[in-house]
Amino acid sequence: MPDNPHEAPTPAAKLSHIRFSYDHGATWALDDVSLTINSGERICLIGPNGSGKSTLAKLIAGLSAPDDGSIILLNHAVYTAQGGPNASEYRAARRGIGMVLQNPEDQLVTTVLEDDVAFGPENLGIVHAQIGERITSSLAAVGLDSHRGSDPTRMSGGQQQRAAIAGMLAMNPAMLVLDEPTAMLDATARAEVMTVLDALHAQGTTIVHVTHHPDETVNADRIVHMEHGRIVRIADPYDQPCLEPTVSAAMAGNTALLPGADLPLLGEQALQADDTHSTPAIRVEHLRYRYGSGRTVIRDLSFHVAQGETLAIMGANGSGKSTLAKLLCALGKPSAGSIEVDGIPVASANKHSGKPRFASRKQLAQLRRSVGYVMQHPEHQLFADTVAEDVAYGPRNQHVTETEVAERVQTALEALHIAHLADRSPFDLSGGQQRLVAIAGVVACNPSVLVMDEPTASLDVRAKARIHELIRALRAKGVTMVMITHDRAEAFALADRVVQMPDEHETTRETSQSNQVAATTQPMRHRSLMHRLDPRVKMVGILAAMFTMFAVNTPVQLAVGAALTLGIIAAARINPIRLLQSIHPILALLVLMSLTNLIVVRTGTPLVSAGPLSITADGVMIAVLYSCRFALVIILGAVFLNTTTPTAMTDAFAALLHPLSRLGVHTQEIALVMSLALRFIPTLTGETTSIIHAQAARGGSVETGSLAQRVKALSAIIVPVFAGTLRHADNLSLALDARCYEEGITRTHWRVFSPGLRDAVFAVIIAVYIAAIVLL
Amino acid sequence: MSMSSHIRMQFVRSIAPEAQGAGSSAAADAKLGSHSTGVADSGRWSTRRIAMYALFVALAMVTSFIEFPITPVAWLKYDPSGIVCLIAGFAYGPSAAIIVSVLGFVPHMFADPWGSLMAVLVALCLSVPASLIYRKIRSRKGAALGIVVGAVLAIVAALLGNLVITPIYAHMSYAAVAAMILPILLPFNLAKMAIHAVVTFLIYKPISNLLAKQQ
Repeated sequence: MPDNPHEAPTPAAKLSHIRFSYDHGATWALDDVSLTINSGERICLIGPNGSGKSTLAKLIAGLSAPDDGSIILLNHAVYTAQGGPNASEYRAARRGIGMVLQNPEDQLVTTVLEDDVAFGPENLGIVHAQIGERITSSLAAVGLDSHRGSDPTRMSGGQQQRAAIAGMLAMNPAMLVLDEPTAMLDATARAEVMTVLDALHAQGTTIVHVTHHPDETVNADRIVHMEHGRIVRIADPYDQPCLEPTVSAAMAGNTALLPGADLPLLGEQALQADDTHSTPAIRVEHLRYRYGSGRTVIRDLSFHVAQGETLAIMGANGSGKSTLAKLLCALGKPSAGSIEVDGIPVASANKHSGKPRFASRKQLAQLRRSVGYVMQHPEHQLFADTVAEDVAYGPRNQHVTETEVAERVQTALEALHIAHLADRSPFDLSGGQQRLVAIAGVVACNPSVLVMDEPTASLDVRAKARIHELIRALRAKGVTMVMITHDRAEAFALADRVVQMPDEHETTRETSQSNQVAATTQPMRHRSLMHRLDPRVKMVGILAAMFTMFAVNTPVQLAVGAALTLGIIAAARINPIRLLQSIHPILALLVLMSLTNLIVVRTGTPLVSAGPLSITADGVMIAVLYSCRFALVIILGAVFLNTTTPTAMTDAFAALLHPLSRLGVHTQEIALVMSLALRFIPTLTGETTSIIHAQAARGGSVETGSLAQRVKALSAIIVPVFAGTLRHADNLSLALDARCYEEGITRTHWRVFSPGLRDAVFAVIIAVYIAAIVLL
Repeated sequence: MSMSSHIRMQFVRSIAPEAQGAGSSAAADAKLGSHSTGVADSGRWSTRRIAMYALFVALAMVTSFIEFPITPVAWLKYDPSGIVCLIAGFAYGPSAAIIVSVLGFVPHMFADPWGSLMAVLVALCLSVPASLIYRKIRSRKGAALGIVVGAVLAIVAALLGNLVITPIYAHMSYAAVAAMILPILLPFNLAKMAIHAVVTFLIYKPISNLLAKQQ
C-alpha cells in the first residue's frame, strides 16, 4: 500500500460505543466507550480503581468480548453489534496482540526462561529454528539474554515482568497491552520495565498501558482518563503534567522528598541517649536473619521505636523489610539477636551461646493481643461470609464479650468509612474495598503496636487517603507504628521518622550480577550423564527399577540393587550426603518400619527376648532387607527428581501419555495442566504460609482452643487459600489466551527429543538389572 | 454461557441462592454477560478450565505434603488433599475430580510408588462418586449424600489397599494386616473422612460466594 501522508494512519484498534457489564446489566463497567488507537501510538489509560481501565484493556487485547458496540482490532472486525463476537477474527487478531498483566508471576507457564518464552511461538506453530531466533531476540530486547536457563519463578518482580514482556515479543505483536505492569514493583524494577517500553515504542510497536503512576505517562502520545466506565478526558502529556495532588503538594519545598535524596539508614541512630527516657515500644538489638537457603538478609541490625512513634521504612525489594516486619510480630525466628515489642521478649539473645530464646506460648498469646500485623496484600486473608464476621475474627480470638466485639467491629469499619459494607460478602467487593476490610480486621484487635507491610501498594488515590486518615487517627491515639512503603511522599506525610532499610546486597550487587550469569550457564556446561538422558527413557527406566526393587528378597538381589543405585548416583554426580539430607524425613519413617519388622517376625533363631517380644535372626535379616530396599527406592526417586527439571518431567509425561490420545484422551491438555501445576506449587506454598502468618497474628490458632475454635481457625486459612487459587487461575487463563493457546491446536516444540546411544545404554542396564532380580 | 460457568452457576445456585445476585436475569438473556470471544474460552478444555485444573492440581499437591498424625500410629497420617479433590469435583464435575485426584499425587510417585497409587485410588473413590451424585442432586443434601457415599467407598478402598500394600513394606501376612483393620486402620480412615467431610461442609458457603463472583 503506498504511503499517503494525508490519509489517516490505519488504526491498531477501533472501539465504538462499547458497553460491558459484569452483573448482567445492573451496572455498567464500560458505558458507551469509543476509542481509536493509531498504529505505533503509545496510549496510557488512567483513572481510579473500578473505573473500567482493566476491562477496556482486556477488550483491546481481544481477550474478552463486550456486551454491545463494535470492535476492530488490527483490521479484524472481531465484534459487531449485530453479529456479536466473531471467533475466527478474534483468533486472527490475537496473534498480533500481546498482553502483560499486573501480577508478573501468574503469566509464567514454566520454570525455565527460554521454555517460557517459547510457549507462545509453539502455540503459533512456528518452526523450530525460528523459535530459537525469537527466543534470542526477545530476551535481548528486555535485557535478559544471559538468563535463558534460569528459573523465572525465582526472579525478582522486575525481571519477571520483563520475562512476561519477552514472552509476548516472541510472538511478534504489532500491539502490546499492559495492565498496570509495574504496580507490584519497586522503583528500580519499575524503571527497568519503563526502559523496555520506551525502546519498543521507538521501534514502532503500538502500546496501550494502564497505570496508576503519573510519572509513567510522560512518554505517552495520549493519556485517556477514565471514570465510572466512561472516558472523561483524552489529554496530551505535554499539556499538563499530571501529578497526583497529594504528591505535588507534599513535594513543595521538601528536598528529602526528591527521589535521589539519601535517607538515614535504619539502625544508624539506633541507640541515642533520648531513648533512655521512656522504654521504647520496640527494641531490636544485633538482629540477624538468615534464610533457609543460607542467604543472610539482615545483619547486626539494632534500633528502637519510641512509644507512639511512627516509623516508615523504605528500601529495595529483597532488602529484608518484610522479613523484619514478620520478625517483629514473632512470625519468624531470628538467627541471632534480640527483639522486644511492647515489653514482651519476642526473642532474647542468650549470653552464652548467642542463640536467641523465643517467646513462650503465653508470651506469644499476649503479643498477639497487643501487636497488629497488616501483611502485604492483606485482602488475601479475607475468609468469612460477611465483612462484619471477618473483622470480628480477631476480637473474638481475644475472648472479649460479644457486645464489645460488635462495638470494635463498628468502630473499625467506621474509621475506614466502610460501615455500609458490614453485611456484604468480602468476596463481592472491589480490590480497594477488600483492602480496607482486611485492615479493619487488624485494627479491630486494638493493637498498641501496629506493623504494616506496604498497606497502600497498588491502591488508587481515594482508598489511599482513607488509610492515611486511619494512620493519622491511630497516631493521635498513641499507637506505635512501623510502616513499610515504597512511596516517599506517603512516608514523609505520615511518619515521625523515615529510614532506609540497610541493604546487605547493595555492596555485592555488581558481583552478584556476574555470579548469576555464571550460575545460569553452569547447569548447561556441567550437566551429568543422568541430566542428559532423554527424560522419557529416564522416567520409564527409573520407575521400572523402583517397582522392581520391591521384589528384592535375598541379600544377593539387594547387592545388585545397591550396585545399580550407586552407579546411578555416580552417573548423576550428586553428593550422596546432600541426597540423604534431602530425603531424611522418609528415612526416619524407614527406621520405624524396620523396627516393626524386627518385632513382628517370629521365625528363626531368637536372639533377644523380653516378655512377649522377641527378636530373631530372621527378624533382623528381614528388617535390614526391607528397610534397605525401600531406601534404594527412595534414593532412585530422589536422583530422578534432582536431575530432571519440571519442564523435562512434563515433556516426558506428555510423551508417555501420547498413545492415549488415540483413545480420545486430551493428552496435550493434561500435560499442560501438569506443567502449570508444578510451576504453581512454590507460589501456593508461599501464599499459604503468609495467610497462616496473618491469621496467627489475629490470634487464630489451629493447635489450641476448643474444637469449634480450631475448626474456625482452619477455615480462616483454607478459604483464603482457595480464594488465591481461583485468583491465580483467573489470571493464568488470561495469560494462556494471550499466548494463543487453544484446545487441540497443532503446536510445534522447542525441545525435541532424540534418544541417543547413552539412552540405549541406560535402557540396557535397567533391563539387565530387572533380569538379574528375576533370575537370582 | 460457557460450559464451565454453566456448571459453576448451577453449583452456586444450589448451595447459595442469594449469592448469585442477578443470576436469574442471566437465564433470560444468555448472551448478555458471557463476554466470550469464542476462542478457547468455553468448553471442557478451555484455557480457563485448564488454568482452573492446574491450580487445583497444584493445591492438591501442596496440601498432600501437609501431613500430620491424627492417631497414635505414626505411619498413618492425615493430609487435607482430599478436600481439594472434593471441591474440584463439586465445582467442575467428575472429570475435574479425576484429573485432580490422579495428577495431584504424581510427585509422590518418586518417593513412595505403591503408597501414591493407593492414595490416588482412595482420592478417586472419594471424589468421583461424590461429584456424580452431586451432579444428579444439586443441593446441599446431594452434596452431603455424595460425601457420605464417597467416604464409605474410600474407606473400603483404603482397607483393601492396605491389605495389598502393607506386606510390600513390612514382612506381614494378609491375615496379620487384616487383624489391624479393626483396631488401627478403620478408626484412622473414619477419622480422616470425618475431617474431610466437616471441613468441606464448613468452607462450602464462602467458597460458593467466591465461585459466584468469579464466573
